[in-house]
Amino acid sequence: MKKTCQIIAIAVFLLFIGGFFVLNIVTPDREFSPQENKYLQMLPDFSFKALFSGKFTKDFEDYTTEQFAFRDGWIAMKARCELLSGKKENNGSYYCGDTILPDFDNPGQEEIDRRADYVNALAENVDTPVYFGLIPGATEINASLLPKNAPADSQQTVLDWAYGRTRSTAGNVDVQTALAAHRDEYIFYRTDHHWTSLGAYYGYTALCESMGLTPSPLSAYDRQTVSEDFCGTTWSSSGFTWVKPDTIETFVPDDGSVTVMNLEKNPPQEGPLYVTSFLDVKDKYSMFLGGNSALRSIDTGHDGPTLLIVRDSYADSLVPFLLEHFSRIDLVDLRYYRDSLTRYINDNGFDSVLVLYSVPNFTTDQNLFLLSM
Amino acid sequence: MVFSSILFLFIYLPIVLAVYYIVPGRWRNLWLFVVNLVFYGWGEPVYILLMLFSICLNYFSGLLIARYLSAGTGGRHAQGDRPRAKAVLIVNTVLNLAMLFFFKYFDLVADTLSLIPGVRVPKLGLSLPIGISFYTFQTMSYPIDVYRGDSYVQKNFIKFGTFVALFPQLIAGPIVRYKDIARQLDERHETLDQFADGVQRFVVGLGKKVLIANNVGMLWDVYANATASELTFVGAWLAAIAFSLQIYFDFSGYSDMAIGLGKMLGFEFLENFNYPYISRTVTEFWRRWHISLSTWFRDYVYIPLGGSRRGLPRQLLNLLIVWALTGLWHGASWTFLVWGLYYAFFLILEKMFLLKWLDRHKIVGHVYTLLVAISGWVIFQQTSVSQTLVFFRAMYGFGQAGFCAGQDLYYLAGFGLLLAAAIFASLPAGKTLFARLPEKLRSVAVPALIVLVLVISTAYLVDSTYNPFLYFRF
Repeated sequence: MKKTCQIIAIAVFLLFIGGFFVLNIVTPDREFSPQENKYLQMLPDFSFKALFSGKFTKDFEDYTTEQFAFRDGWIAMKARCELLSGKKENNGSYYCGDTILPDFDNPGQEEIDRRADYVNALAENVDTPVYFGLIPGATEINASLLPKNAPADSQQTVLDWAYGRTRSTAGNVDVQTALAAHRDEYIFYRTDHHWTSLGAYYGYTALCESMGLTPSPLSAYDRQTVSEDFCGTTWSSSGFTWVKPDTIETFVPDDGSVTVMNLEKNPPQEGPLYVTSFLDVKDKYSMFLGGNSALRSIDTGHDGPTLLIVRDSYADSLVPFLLEHFSRIDLVDLRYYRDSLTRYINDNGFDSVLVLYSVPNFTTDQNLFLLSM
Repeated sequence: MVFSSILFLFIYLPIVLAVYYIVPGRWRNLWLFVVNLVFYGWGEPVYILLMLFSICLNYFSGLLIARYLSAGTGGRHAQGDRPRAKAVLIVNTVLNLAMLFFFKYFDLVADTLSLIPGVRVPKLGLSLPIGISFYTFQTMSYPIDVYRGDSYVQKNFIKFGTFVALFPQLIAGPIVRYKDIARQLDERHETLDQFADGVQRFVVGLGKKVLIANNVGMLWDVYANATASELTFVGAWLAAIAFSLQIYFDFSGYSDMAIGLGKMLGFEFLENFNYPYISRTVTEFWRRWHISLSTWFRDYVYIPLGGSRRGLPRQLLNLLIVWALTGLWHGASWTFLVWGLYYAFFLILEKMFLLKWLDRHKIVGHVYTLLVAISGWVIFQQTSVSQTLVFFRAMYGFGQAGFCAGQDLYYLAGFGLLLAAAIFASLPAGKTLFARLPEKLRSVAVPALIVLVLVISTAYLVDSTYNPFLYFRF
């Protein structure tokens, strides 16, 4: 009896470690993980140089872990175990039933002041009126969904500090109030940190109020569902991969009268308003204008003034609503744009400039200082 | 390489075990010697040379000492040229300690000397060779034992090298003395019993490290750098208890894995932990905590200094020396010295008069010992004395942040179950209860638990590199 028990114990142990040893050899390596949106470590090339610098062993160790059989399944299991043990979060995201909310860390007033001063510098450098908008994230707007006592910092505090600091601009856009008034609607994706097209619409109404424009009523749009299986960034990072996917909608149809020139490419590349090929891959949000680019210029096909937006990706789903009010909208992404922003604004004679960031990006992006260049 | 990694569990270990049991017995030490070097060199391949140097140094010192002591017949009454043997021993000990000092403490001394105005000692910035504190102590005890006649000399280089670099205990103990496994190096008989014990022991250790230590460690991390205005009474205690559990499960888990792996390869190592948190006195705590280290200091420092045989003042001085060294052994920072002396204080106090009193007040003894140990870990883990004081003020009712904050409740709810399980697992009760189960049930439960711990640990290990790159996170 005792002996049988021992043999079984030894057998399960050896089968487990030996089984995965073999399994990891026979299962093919994946170059890219859509779930993690990153290239996975492949078997590193051996060289004595790499060995003695320690690079080979480190890469090899990453390789064993990143190419482990059923990796995505293990990750979900770990997330489940965390919840079972009583935790309400995993990898920096809170589990709120069918919604995943990313954590938020307030970096302190000094840091926020420094960042707001970059906006001030831009306003001083150009003659064009500069509008400034901060978009609070879902964690702020839907704070009531957070686990009890969750230690996510208030984004409202950051907003108040930043808006209290910015001066001599054309005005601060009150996105917060517009979103908060509709917090019970589907204005943020449940599995992604972005706002939905509906959320972007409410952001648009706030912007119209600041700029003195008349927003179109919601009923004027042709709402279309373009995807029902969008699994976003928080879905990936949290490991809560059983949360049901999101729906992506468009409100403004792409009738072909809009041309989006991607000026990052040489020669510039023309694209549509919605790049629907992104709907077939994991990163579906990028279908709005085709994702990130250093500089894009949109010919809206309408009459009106011109606008430059210093953007993060929240702006991409906002732009469709703005088309009817402007003849040209340019989008600058400071993560990739390396020329002088001031010169670009002055050279192109924009009628107005909008600096629009989500609060989490505003507090963390390392390239904001380029506003003052 | 560390045991709690995918690389070790699913590549290194299967290969080591498979080849070990396929090759004939006389090749097994050589195989271990080779894979030990791979294991050791994995993190810093260059330091294999250091390891080889250490092996050669102590191997030849051992040979020389044995030769001077009448050709290695050893024994307490060996005649021969003792002065020469002693000279070799001294040179060897100095070289070993110099190596340890150079790699581990040079920068600390350089930093400290540079505090003196006008003095600038450049730092070396060397990365610490993994396990150097462990294997230096391990190897230098061998020539001492040969000199004292406590151990026979090992003439086979491979066998000696296998002992020094033996991967199960190489990087985190237990500190195995040569004399304790000398015979096993020459002749060992791997048995089914032993292997099964080894598997169980290893899996228990893996679970302790990956499932308990790593996770409660996160709770300490939440609070470690809290400012005086943030750190509440509850928060400080949560953090301190979390770290006390983390270090116990981390360290004893590592020892369990080492002992388990040793058994799988036919070795029997001595125990290193014995439920330290049930101690009634600090003296008892140190008999149950990191036993192999305390034993080492007792045999190679405390007793040679005269121990308790030269009167009370001398004994107190010896205790101070041993505990200053024990503190510094844990790390190259003066906070570890403070931590060592902190224990010297309580140990001396107990020796002078507290022990007798504590014998009659057992519950007080438990509470007092836990307070000393938990507070001690705060000194141990905080990198600055000022931050330690922030913690002590909050823990002992002089904090600025009050009793409890919402955040504390959140973490208490999230970690409560894990903390309770960890506290239970740090007591002998679980083992006792399990032993009382009917044998039939146990024989089913053991394999089931092994699979369960392996599966969940694997999930946590695979997840450790899970760091999605969200470039669209902008």
